[in-house]
Amino acid sequence: MSNSKIMIVDDDPDLRQALRLRLRANHYDTVNAVDGYSAIAMAYKEHPNLIILDLGLPAGDGFIVLDRLQRDDKLSAIPVIVLTARDPQSSEQRALQAGAAAFFQKPADNAELLDVIRATLSQSGQGAVLPS
Amino acid sequence: MNGKSSYVLLIEDNPGDADLVRLRLVEGKSAIDVNCVNRLSDGLASLQEKSPSVILLDLNLPDSQGAETFRRVLEKAPDVPIVILSGQDDEALAMKALHQGVQDYLVKGAISSSGLDRAMRYAVERQALLRSLEMSRKQQLEFKNQFLSHVSHELRTPLTCIHQFATLLFDGLAGEVSAEQRDHLQTILKSVNQLGAMVRDLLEASRAESGKVKIEPHCVSIGDLIRLAVSMTRSLAYEKQIGLEIGVDARVPFVYADPDRTLEVLINLIDNGIKFTPSGGSITVQACLVPTEPDFVYVSVTDTGCGVDPAAKALIFERMYQDPNSIDNSRKGLGLGLFIAKELVTLHGGRIWVVSEPGQGSTFTFTLPLYSLAKLLMPVIVKDDALRDAVVLVKVSLMSRSKSPRGNWKETCRAALERLQRCVYLDKDLVMPPMTAPGPLQTFFVVASTDLARAEIMMTRIREQLGKLPEVNGTADLEVSASEVALPDPAAGLTLEEQVQEVAERVTEMAQSALSTECNSTEKK
Repeated sequence: MSNSKIMIVDDDPDLRQALRLRLRANHYDTVNAVDGYSAIAMAYKEHPNLIILDLGLPAGDGFIVLDRLQRDDKLSAIPVIVLTARDPQSSEQRALQAGAAAFFQKPADNAELLDVIRATLSQSGQGAVLPS
Repeated sequence: MNGKSSYVLLIEDNPGDADLVRLRLVEGKSAIDVNCVNRLSDGLASLQEKSPSVILLDLNLPDSQGAETFRRVLEKAPDVPIVILSGQDDEALAMKALHQGVQDYLVKGAISSSGLDRAMRYAVERQALLRSLEMSRKQQLEFKNQFLSHVSHELRTPLTCIHQFATLLFDGLAGEVSAEQRDHLQTILKSVNQLGAMVRDLLEASRAESGKVKIEPHCVSIGDLIRLAVSMTRSLAYEKQIGLEIGVDARVPFVYADPDRTLEVLINLIDNGIKFTPSGGSITVQACLVPTEPDFVYVSVTDTGCGVDPAAKALIFERMYQDPNSIDNSRKGLGLGLFIAKELVTLHGGRIWVVSEPGQGSTFTFTLPLYSLAKLLMPVIVKDDALRDAVVLVKVSLMSRSKSPRGNWKETCRAALERLQRCVYLDKDLVMPPMTAPGPLQTFFVVASTDLARAEIMMTRIREQLGKLPEVNGTADLEVSASEVALPDPAAGLTLEEQVQEVAERVTEMAQSALSTECNSTEKK
């Protein structure tokens, strides 16, 4: 059985790397996207089980990505967890209304983030394979 | 006065004085359109229709006297310059008016045409100057907020990077770590957390200052919040070997407060106590009722620390105040914690203060309003000075199918409450403030002034409206039920207030017992 695949969308290469190492250590496969445009293209190509999305992105910010994911029949079922440096008071409600499954402000607590990833995957039925 | 805006509103009831002023106005060089009214109410109505360039105002009118007169005009037209026409004997009042925003005053009987013209000109100029000052103040504040918001956002990215890689190392994901290395990494992480808290406080303080913080009051147990705050700060206290005690009077009823914000205040005060208390000391968090202020609960955080210098007592709630005697001098923080606490408490309608002797420790106390269902019920279940005929308690339960729902669940509950508000008649039904119980079950209560049969209509509407939430029947279940509230016996001779109080108590009892049976059944599942 294969691992769940998580797509990391963040324009900061160091943050992408840190998150990739963390997710791999928890038995997730990862793919990357560096901006809003490639996020959509990559979602089509890779069919990730879950997307971790930064809001401040070049070429279409996170809200545009959320909106396009929601509108697309092939992509709307993929749960999105927003992970951003932005202030929750100005962005959390908006992100959740736009369809995000959860909102975390950077730096997020790793254990909490992993818990929510696990719960979201099992809730959406995307994570048939529960990582240990 | 010249230019396009030469319309003057003259509010003066003495026909002789009015004519005189009108004459002086016409004698002036420029053409002026004068509207003269002799009652304040007419003047206020006229302001509604057309905004004058100046208001000439007599203070003693048939329908308003003295200071009240200019206050009402200022309230109605804060941007229009006012010149007062004062009698010879009430110059003191005219001076008072100047302090409160009136631009100038003229003493009746000594008004010359040129004097009047000049007074009006200057009044207009000063008002414009004030307006532009106010505008630039607002712009600066807005700029500062944007700047801080930008800075804190930009600081977070490198901060996150340090945090992420330090935790990767700490968790051994990049190879084995020696005990000494772990110690060093822990120090890095501690500093990262401090930096993160500073960045957060910076934004929070600027937001509080510009009035952008909103509170969402719930009916909530202050004891629960204190226990939560203490559990969240326990490791910090433990590290410094400071005891952390709780003393909550069991009789303290629910408070009407924003749970997140109250938690923030408590944590700020406890953090502050830990900072100024040496190892071996203790901090006690208490909640109690005080007879002199029956509508509030007193919440206090007492430490055995260095105390507050008497001279500093008034200053410590100010922004950026830092105690020069802090024992932890190398890590002072930004000095925003108490400022934020004060702003949040004030938003709730409470007060905050400190009692302290140098070297004897300090007690920070704040007040929060008690939750009074009777007060909220009064306007909805009373009509024509009597209780309505029937009152029903409608229970709306929203149950998430996930055991640990997160962010979006909170959002669903908020949306449900909003929809619920639209299903009721505001003048005879009350959607009770949510009783906060974190978890997959959210229960709302509506007190409806109706009988069980007619409550069905409301319940159908609620099922329909809340059923439209995408989560309901997807990842959450909805349950709506109603039960009658027994009303007090009219023969018992209770006053109306006592009757409402009794209904409130019954409703509270019913709601609480419904909640506790629900909690039990959830746990059993």
